[in-house]
Amino acid sequence: MIEAQIYKALGDPVRLEMVAKLAKGSSCTIGELSSNLGISRQGARKQIQVLVSANVVRLVPQGRETQVVLNTEKLKVAKMFISKLETEWDQRLHALKSFAEGQNRN
Amino acid sequence: MQDIIEREIIIKATKEQIYDAIAKPDQVVLWFPETLEGNYTINEQPIFGFGENGKNQVYIVDAKPHSYFAYRWLPGANNFLGDVLSVPNTLVEFHIVELGEDSCKVTVKESGFKTLSADYMEQALEQNSKGWNFMLGRLVKYIETR
Repeated sequence: MIEAQIYKALGDPVRLEMVAKLAKGSSCTIGELSSNLGISRQGARKQIQVLVSANVVRLVPQGRETQVVLNTEKLKVAKMFISKLETEWDQRLHALKSFAEGQNRN
Repeated sequence: MQDIIEREIIIKATKEQIYDAIAKPDQVVLWFPETLEGNYTINEQPIFGFGENGKNQVYIVDAKPHSYFAYRWLPGANNFLGDVLSVPNTLVEFHIVELGEDSCKVTVKESGFKTLSADYMEQALEQNSKGWNFMLGRLVKYIETR
């Protein structure tokens, strides 16, 4: 699931451009990352949120600015492991629901 | 670190139907593991089969019709065959609570993540989906060649 999420997060030219920008340097502020992309600031913010949700980047408040940092370190392993298992349980419970409810229709 | 996962769902079926779906070997294979080898009863260690994704031995802890079913296993592992109780494991508990006529809340609670080592979790993640490092490695290569 994690892999699929990451693929999905990067399967968009704007988001890929953002990650490419971050991969070249160390980190950017939200403003720096949003510039020269040919989209509105609000649109950029939305794309950044997609990257945050997929654990591709994280946001680090720094004074009045917010830094966007690429998640390259392995510190997220435990969190990723747990969130992957949570997704798996959601899928299994849905499968259980379909199965149990389907029996009533037969 | 987070020790517990808890998820729930509302199912429009009776508690008997839901319990049987979880606790009966011929039914559980229709929605959870693809195959089940061995005795699916308390204190036994049957094997859940997930096709190409491997086999996982589980230890059945408790079964109370029609409200509770619990087992121990190694979460996220591709393959584990052996005595589940001899290694760090997690406890998976299903609770079925009747809400009204033909409607129940099913909760699954998995606990014991604190007993698992970081190495174990990393390996499980890497086995399952080469995941993050793999993707990032490819991405950096892609960017460098542009």
